[in-house]
Amino acid sequence: MTASMTSRQRVLAALKREPVDRTPLCNPTSVATVELMDLVNAPFPEANRNPELMARLAATGYTELGFDTIMPVFTIIQESSALGCKIQWEQKDNWPTVRMNEPIWREPDDIKVPADLCTHPDTTCVTEAIKILRKEYGDEVAIVGKTMGPWSQGYHCFGVEPFLLMSLDDPGKTKLCLDRMKEITIQFGQAQIDAGADALCLPDHATGDLVSGEYYQRYLRDMHIEFAERLSVPIILHICGRTVDRMEYIAQTGMAAFHFDSKNAPQESMDIVKDRISLVGNINNPETLFSKGPEAVNTEVTRNLEAGVQLVGPECAIPLQTSIENLKEISRTVRTWHRDQASN
Amino acid sequence: MTQTLDLGPRVELVSMDPHFHDITIALYSPGSDGQPAYLVHTYSSIPGADERLARLRQTMQTLGGMEAIGEGLLHFPCGHAHPLAARRVFLDSCKLKPEPPAEAQPLNVFDKKSNGTITVASLGNGLYEARPADDAQGTERRVATIARGLMRLGEMEEVDGQPNQTRFSCSQEHDDLIGLLLVRAPNVRAAMREAEDMASRGVLAAPSAQE
Repeated sequence: MTASMTSRQRVLAALKREPVDRTPLCNPTSVATVELMDLVNAPFPEANRNPELMARLAATGYTELGFDTIMPVFTIIQESSALGCKIQWEQKDNWPTVRMNEPIWREPDDIKVPADLCTHPDTTCVTEAIKILRKEYGDEVAIVGKTMGPWSQGYHCFGVEPFLLMSLDDPGKTKLCLDRMKEITIQFGQAQIDAGADALCLPDHATGDLVSGEYYQRYLRDMHIEFAERLSVPIILHICGRTVDRMEYIAQTGMAAFHFDSKNAPQESMDIVKDRISLVGNINNPETLFSKGPEAVNTEVTRNLEAGVQLVGPECAIPLQTSIENLKEISRTVRTWHRDQASN
Repeated sequence: MTQTLDLGPRVELVSMDPHFHDITIALYSPGSDGQPAYLVHTYSSIPGADERLARLRQTMQTLGGMEAIGEGLLHFPCGHAHPLAARRVFLDSCKLKPEPPAEAQPLNVFDKKSNGTITVASLGNGLYEARPADDAQGTERRVATIARGLMRLGEMEEVDGQPNQTRFSCSQEHDDLIGLLLVRAPNVRAAMREAEDMASRGVLAAPSAQE
């Protein structure tokens, strides 16, 4: 056991699989809820477009819920807005979405990274929020940014169906598109690093329901290796769904961590990745955090701790109506479990 | 120092109050001295939010026959929790405009399917029976449906051999609550669908699952 660490030290150590004083609570994706929005008067959709509100709402993950991270990029559409996608910003109780049935690109030559990608109001909002948080919290807590991967951008900018069909019909064209879109990931990620992010979540939705492990290896593994090399902070890859068929490839990328879904058992996932990449997650959102009570949360958190998962947290952005009681239970369980381990 | 409170299990949530600045209002069950009790709470500090909650508590007392027991807590006079019924009282109270003040609902409902009125009579000891109104035709088959609707909405019990009857497990009368539940009893599916729709809002789907 190491001496007492700050939240930031704890998270950064766990991302490198170094010793920690206790398992860090990490949210690479949003833990915002409608009740927390009221608590700090920072409701959606404004909290996705105003840096002060974004920072204030994000900080509640640390100040109220006991996480060791603050992650201000609640949505998956900030850079898509900067690219020109049509956004439905929705209301306080729902997530903004890209209108993917109105794609902005059809061919590789359509892909243009706009000069104002990182100065657009919806991307600047993120970088400004990170600066605010860095200034307010200094080195005490890990600040995690988010930059979307090219596969997710493909869905947003080409539409899900056209993009998947392209990947079937014309792998060369698909690779060209991905190669061009990866610059969006790099530029927005770098802007957040420059603003003070300690780590980046990189969602790339090659999800278990639509894309096979072989697809991941063919289209994305090498690109993810490149991200890990070019972005200078620890990268946390996020892919939803059942992903054990690609965890071997993911473990080869050099990324710091994989944010994994509850459809993958903690122990089986740890057995695959071994010590090559940290795992973070995998508390179920819709059934456990949203619909059940603290006892069920406790059971899932404990299962992850016993499997040696390096960072514990929700599997994905939590439902906005999730109860505060359940979210606090994650922190309570981690602390109690470590206290019990120490006394045994 | 955290600002969030330990309020016990959250029973129900209205994400956006349609009648007061879209604030989020929740019903908690803190458990007061081991007795089932409910607390209406918001984390909003918008001026007027406390008054809105006070009015909501009053509406829940009127519509659901609940009682105030101090410190903002409400309970059913029988001392039982009736959690499903409490949820319904809360949700329906949130829907009502603050003005004019709510009135208790009558123990009869017009049933569109049978084009007639169905009444519910209290038989004492928490036992209720759905009956066609005297002047209504064609409602006989619907009364059992109404009784089943009350069972589902209020977590009431079946009565052996009496499909038109249902009872509260506490064996106490809850006329105001029955009046409230009766409004939705003819179409429980719609009430359930509404609850499912509410629950599915705010759940982020992966891009591959979005439209």
